[in-house]
Amino acid sequence: MIGWLKSNWRVALLAVFILLAGLALFSPALDSGEETLGNESEEASTLTNLRFGLDLAGGTRIRAPLIGLTADNVEFAGGTPQEVETDVAGQLPNTDTTDVIARQATEQGEANTVEVVNPNVTETEFATAMDDAGYEYDEISSGVTDATRQEAINVLEGKINQAGLSGGTVQEFQSSGDILIEVPGQDRQDVIELIEDRGNVRVDIYYQNDSGEYTTERAVLTQDDFQSISTASQGENGPGPNVPVTIRPDSAEEFREVAVETGLAPGGSTCTYDQDRENTQPCLLLVVDGEVVNAFGMNPDLGESIESGDWVRDSSFILTTTDFEEAQRVAINLRAGALPAQLDVLGGTTSYISPTQGDNFRTYSLIIGVLSVLSVAGVVFARYREPKVALPMILTAFSEVVILLGFAAYLGYPLDLAVIAGFIAVIGTGVDDLIIIADEVMSEGEVNSQRVFDSRFRRAFWVIGVAAATTILAMSPLAALPLGNLRGFAIFTILGVLVGVLITRPAYGDILRYLMTDR
Amino acid sequence: MVAIAVPEVDYTQYSNRQLVAVPLALLAVALLVIVGWYVVTGAPANLGLEFTGGTELRIDVDGENPRQQIDEAFSVAPESVQEVDVDGSFVVTFQEGALGSSQIEEEANAAGFDVLTVDSVDGSFGPEQGQLALGGVVAAFAGMSVLIFVIFRSFVPSIAIVISAFSDVMIPLAMMNLFGIDLTLGTVAALLMLIGYSVDSDILLNNSVLRQSGDFYESTRRAMRTGVTMTITSIAAMAVMTILASLFGIQIMQAIGFILVVGLLADLMNTYLVNVSLLRWYVYEGVKR
Repeated sequence: MIGWLKSNWRVALLAVFILLAGLALFSPALDSGEETLGNESEEASTLTNLRFGLDLAGGTRIRAPLIGLTADNVEFAGGTPQEVETDVAGQLPNTDTTDVIARQATEQGEANTVEVVNPNVTETEFATAMDDAGYEYDEISSGVTDATRQEAINVLEGKINQAGLSGGTVQEFQSSGDILIEVPGQDRQDVIELIEDRGNVRVDIYYQNDSGEYTTERAVLTQDDFQSISTASQGENGPGPNVPVTIRPDSAEEFREVAVETGLAPGGSTCTYDQDRENTQPCLLLVVDGEVVNAFGMNPDLGESIESGDWVRDSSFILTTTDFEEAQRVAINLRAGALPAQLDVLGGTTSYISPTQGDNFRTYSLIIGVLSVLSVAGVVFARYREPKVALPMILTAFSEVVILLGFAAYLGYPLDLAVIAGFIAVIGTGVDDLIIIADEVMSEGEVNSQRVFDSRFRRAFWVIGVAAATTILAMSPLAALPLGNLRGFAIFTILGVLVGVLITRPAYGDILRYLMTDR
Repeated sequence: MVAIAVPEVDYTQYSNRQLVAVPLALLAVALLVIVGWYVVTGAPANLGLEFTGGTELRIDVDGENPRQQIDEAFSVAPESVQEVDVDGSFVVTFQEGALGSSQIEEEANAAGFDVLTVDSVDGSFGPEQGQLALGGVVAAFAGMSVLIFVIFRSFVPSIAIVISAFSDVMIPLAMMNLFGIDLTLGTVAALLMLIGYSVDSDILLNNSVLRQSGDFYESTRRAMRTGVTMTITSIAAMAVMTILASLFGIQIMQAIGFILVVGLLADLMNTYLVNVSLLRWYVYEGVKR
């Protein structure tokens, strides 16, 4: 037994790898592995552990940059980041402090940065504003900082989870600075609607000041002021669609003061903002991304309670909206928070594959794969006309694919069309190399000793090694560059070549030797 | 079953000049097509959606006269409308800037079409990708050339491989223009794959002639027997993939397959005409100098 293993360890190694691949593919224990693309396909996850990419499962993929300009190496001159934000925002047209992000360096070697995320601000305007505000900087570049990007990724993940889109993923796209969002089984429009706005929700009070002019007290409530946010409610028997919230005790006290001061609370108010905004009692404005989505008054009971201070202890509140969908959006935005910068969805790439189409593609690519393998087998049989040579060849090439599929299942790498094309290419190169081995070993007459076999096998392996090196070299730019889903094609071609050279082709040599010498 | 007999070529009957004439002429034509394309369109091949920007829909259309329905459904004229044989769906492409992708999708939905897939790429995004992809091809080719020179350590055999690989990439690129296949990420991947794939048989040939015993013609015959089988199996796999993928309307597989088939056919020619004659010159005349 040990003697056999010693001379056939390559075959044993192949067997071990096939076993491992089988385990990775079919073992239910591994099923709950890394959540790379989630539960996009029930059918697939019950049968094997393979994950399918959007091509084969259906869903939406969006790759888009975050809109922003970043000034590097900014001298804060003693100011806090908040002060810097206010100063810079003050110098820019239509720009809020929410559109300016100042970041103080936290570690040695980092630099202070100021970002402007208002899409309408140009680089020149930003430069002028920085100069006018008196902050020195090195240069302005387009794009946002890593910290902002990370925040955006977290917020986007929150939004997708809050919206109940299971299995969605958000990540930076191959360190290109773009954000890649993949949501299986979901329509493109729904996903775009969910993520394209920053989702900055605030409540303003619109009222008549002492001199009789209408004015707006901005941001009396913002996301930070809410202690809890309930799910959107239909509010059928009363207030209509709304989002119930509770307000933090300290914020509640502040809100009480403003509400009393502006005349909103005492006795409640009836809001006619939508009909005639020059003639209305004080209004609460629900503002999303700078746009008023609803204006509403306050009922007298609540007004009383706020004025007397009772409300501060309970501090529950409802944000009413015009329709239920709006209420749902507001609830999601409040829970997930606002995006620090807007995604330029139109400036990126989007793709959508309907789930039925994904199903079809899955069937089609299976047919293509099987028939390609059969055609290779046909050519090999026609050429050698000897099952002893051809059959192990085809089985070996096939085992290469099984091992690769095992890798894919183990890594949780989602299969897509490009990866499957890579698999077919791997079978092609795999068989090529086996042909080199077979021809070399069988050339120049009979193989009658182990020594002759070994020297011929080594000679064949030299060619295979060089060929493998060139293929790996040729595919490596594709594996390294951020060029979309072709990365999968490149990675699996390279992996296939490695598996072939290190595991399956040596094993084929052993099998062939057994068949040729021990007769 | 049909037996495949690898043809035996009697190289002694032909001079080196005769052997290289056809492949070099083809390479020249290919380069002419590519340069001509570059002069006229500003790019070596027709750039696909990923590099120019635009929107592509795959839709199911019920009822009579689907093409007419499609023409009427959209407020801008699509750049192209292609029918997919196997399921009767249509692939409709719009140029960048014609309409926003969301609006196109809405119009398709409004017309009652069943939207199967939507792909959209912004125009400002495309050229950047194109540059990257082109850089990748050049880097891969340069890397391969350096590796070949390092391994063979002599000029003529190495340059023979590099020339033949160059031609293997250029001929399919020219063919893409003639057959109206766009340069996409899929086809770039196929061209890269070709760089790796096509040198296999050249390496085998050079190895057989330079590193193994036996006279030139015997070594060439042996390498050819193996090499042609190899290339034909690959062509078989890729041809099946191309045909099926085009029936099913899976463009990325179709494009990868087509380019590999054309490139491998070119490789058969280049390896056993160009590479062989350069090697023969090197073995019989070059070494003596």
